[in-house]
Amino acid sequence: MLDHLLADLANAMGPDRARAEPLELALYARDAGVQAGAAAAVCFPRHADDVAAAVAAARRHGVPFVARGSGTGLAGGATPMEEPLVIVTTQMNRVLDIDVASRRAWVEPGVLNLDLSRAVAPYGLHYAPDPSSQQACTIGGNVATNAGGPHCLASGVTAAHVLAVDVVLPDATTARLGGLAPDTPGYDLRGVFVGSEGTMGIATKIAVRLQPNPPTVRTLLLDFTAIDDAAATVSAIIAAGVLPAALEMMDAEITRAVEDFVGAGYPRDADAVLLVELDGLADGVAADVAAVSDLAMAHGARNVRVAADEAERQLLWKGRKSAFGAIARIAPDYYLHDAVVPRTQLVTVLREVYAIADECALTMMNVFHAGDGNLHPLIVFDARVPGVWERVHEAGNRILTACIRAGGVLSGEHGVGLEKRDLMPLLFSPDDLALQGRLVDAFDPDGLANPAKVLPAGSRCGEIGRRPVPEGAWI
Amino acid sequence: MSTPLGLDPDELVACVACGLCLPHCPTYRVTNLEIASPRGRIAAMRAVEQGVVPLDGVFVRAMEECVQCRGCEAACPSGVPFGHLMEGARAALASQPIADARRSPLARRATERVALSWVLTRHRVLLTLTWLLWAAQHVHLVPRRLGVPRLRAADLRTPLTAPSGDATADAWLFTGCVMDAWQRGVHRAALEVLGAVGVRASRPGPGGDCCGALHVHSGRRDEARKLARRVIDSMPGTAPIVVDAAGCGAALRDYGHLLGTEEAAAFAARVRDFSEYAVSQGAAEHLVATGERVVVQDPCHLRHVQKAHPAVRDLLGRAYRLAETADDGLCCGAGGAYSVQQPALAQSIRARKAGALREAGADADTVVCSANPGCTFHLAAAGFVVEHPAELAARALSREPVSRPT
Repeated sequence: MLDHLLADLANAMGPDRARAEPLELALYARDAGVQAGAAAAVCFPRHADDVAAAVAAARRHGVPFVARGSGTGLAGGATPMEEPLVIVTTQMNRVLDIDVASRRAWVEPGVLNLDLSRAVAPYGLHYAPDPSSQQACTIGGNVATNAGGPHCLASGVTAAHVLAVDVVLPDATTARLGGLAPDTPGYDLRGVFVGSEGTMGIATKIAVRLQPNPPTVRTLLLDFTAIDDAAATVSAIIAAGVLPAALEMMDAEITRAVEDFVGAGYPRDADAVLLVELDGLADGVAADVAAVSDLAMAHGARNVRVAADEAERQLLWKGRKSAFGAIARIAPDYYLHDAVVPRTQLVTVLREVYAIADECALTMMNVFHAGDGNLHPLIVFDARVPGVWERVHEAGNRILTACIRAGGVLSGEHGVGLEKRDLMPLLFSPDDLALQGRLVDAFDPDGLANPAKVLPAGSRCGEIGRRPVPEGAWI
Repeated sequence: MSTPLGLDPDELVACVACGLCLPHCPTYRVTNLEIASPRGRIAAMRAVEQGVVPLDGVFVRAMEECVQCRGCEAACPSGVPFGHLMEGARAALASQPIADARRSPLARRATERVALSWVLTRHRVLLTLTWLLWAAQHVHLVPRRLGVPRLRAADLRTPLTAPSGDATADAWLFTGCVMDAWQRGVHRAALEVLGAVGVRASRPGPGGDCCGALHVHSGRRDEARKLARRVIDSMPGTAPIVVDAAGCGAALRDYGHLLGTEEAAAFAARVRDFSEYAVSQGAAEHLVATGERVVVQDPCHLRHVQKAHPAVRDLLGRAYRLAETADDGLCCGAGGAYSVQQPALAQSIRARKAGALREAGADADTVVCSANPGCTFHLAAAGFVVEHPAELAARALSREPVSRPT
């Protein structure tokens, strides 16, 4: 069967566009999350027709399929389950059209997030959602996960920046969801598709909204000796009516790891730091800088540093955006959660989260979008230590339960994917899950599009024979 | 327990697979394939080490396609020592026979062996062959695309003015193998600049020619170690060792790791890139403004490995109008012998670099500045006018008499 699939793919897309060498398959067995799957074959389309042909071929042979961009996802969304065909969109990486007057662009899914902002920079524009992986992640992947980023506090996440998507549906037909008009009539299928994590089809062309660059930007580094004070400051800033462009927190350990990499002058002895970015017209920004500085000092900040120039600002951001990657300086593996809690609960939840890690004898650190209350508790460990996985899972479940009890949700921006799938019942009732299942079924009745993701087993029709995560899939 | 590649497991697990290296990898940028990315190569090494996949031709090709520019190392937040891992993998591959049709052709490997073992390490043989090449160039038998620079008989005939093996000199100028044969003019310029600030430089004594960088890259570590010991013996004492080839400088700076001795580490600590050393001796103040525009290209082993690239700007910033490329210092595809070993990839990578250089203003009249012979030849073969920072500095030297600052 595999040989026939490969032959069909080669026939449709050209020789060497589809492969199944064991080594190459191994490289597509996981994304930046921790769980590995196994692919049956991998193919490299160059345009939408190739994607449609790949999906059609997979259907013909009854093989599931999963789209993959740069593989920087943190929830296993692109991890191949049930031995699918992996459809890699990285070679579809052209910016097709930039409409400066209307501030929008059509791009292919493999365009890197930062490359898009660079391509439109000469026009004084940028693409606002900026995940920490923005230098490496693709717009297609951003659409699939409805990705966020530090600057989504004021600008909104990916869904607010996608106008239309051309997709190959799971039945290999094509459709345009959404449109360039401000409010496309009919059901908002674009809104349904953004964040569907590849379970409703594959984006082949995306229309994105572009933002004008702000006239003035100031970035502040607030330095605290108590994490409670930092958390209280976050809530106080928003309560005071200031809406920063970004409001990020890093705790002591992650700050040190990051500083070892960038040398941006992050205080190594701080218990927590806040990175606050304020933008807009010069006068308003100046007032906001003063307000935030006063609030920070009133809440026990040791120091407020304003980045003197663009180079210093970039270096501070490089530190924040390298945080996950810098983890191996502490331990070789990490398990990352993405829970969101109400800002007013930050102090209480953070205390609880650290206490859980202590009780499970695990190292935990936090680097997160504080302004959104989007926590990223990171449990770092060495998977080679026997029995550590059980503790990591226990701590993870307890942390999420605590966040949800405080009125939060289990994923802010990384998606549910594989890693958070079985935690969905913590948040949704069986009826809620069944409704979501019926929505996915409408797009993909045969369950071939990125199977075993997002919804836990039993939420959809036609799941007979679906396997749980196999033993040994955890690395 | 021995593993197929014998790599350090702690170095291997340091990669958390975040993917932040991908856009900084020249081969990934032109292929967009995981197997041609740093993360993919590390995962491949892991898979082979764990016995999950066989050590076959696909793996060998994945390793051979790496330029070893180490752009990924500079981009890695976790500081994965990719260069060491790749050198280790290459060394393991060099020492075991792998029968696979997809390996690079036998003829190319044989040529590589002759070049690395019998020519680069024997400076007289290299110079003799260079004369033959000069003759061939003279009758138009050497295609430009090969990247061999235009050789000049006068350069080859005239030895450098600096003494050889003089341990009383202020500094050593490491002259290397190919650089001395094909780019002796750069050494002359470097000596002129050093002379202008009153530095008395000596050439290495006997054996101070090939640094072994290409041998390390090809996995020939034992040969590289022999060469390293020879180079160390050729420049005794404590005087700084000035290197005007970025690739050689990076190799010399890694001798401590290569040989694992204190003597080698002490030697490595004396190594300075030419621009770095010239700036420290006040050479920048001796240059006069030329008004000329120069596009700066950072050799990977200057930027990502030695991290000495700011010195080029410090040295030349006053004399020239410097323009930067907007490609984050991505590799040009030269990579030592890479442009010969992987011509197709090297050309795709160069095409990308050429775009960035042209965007920064490089054209027939605007010089591109590069501190490494490999990059120079590779970019010149694509039609760029390339000069070394030492040559640019020498051209801008003030003709006023100067005395060395005390």
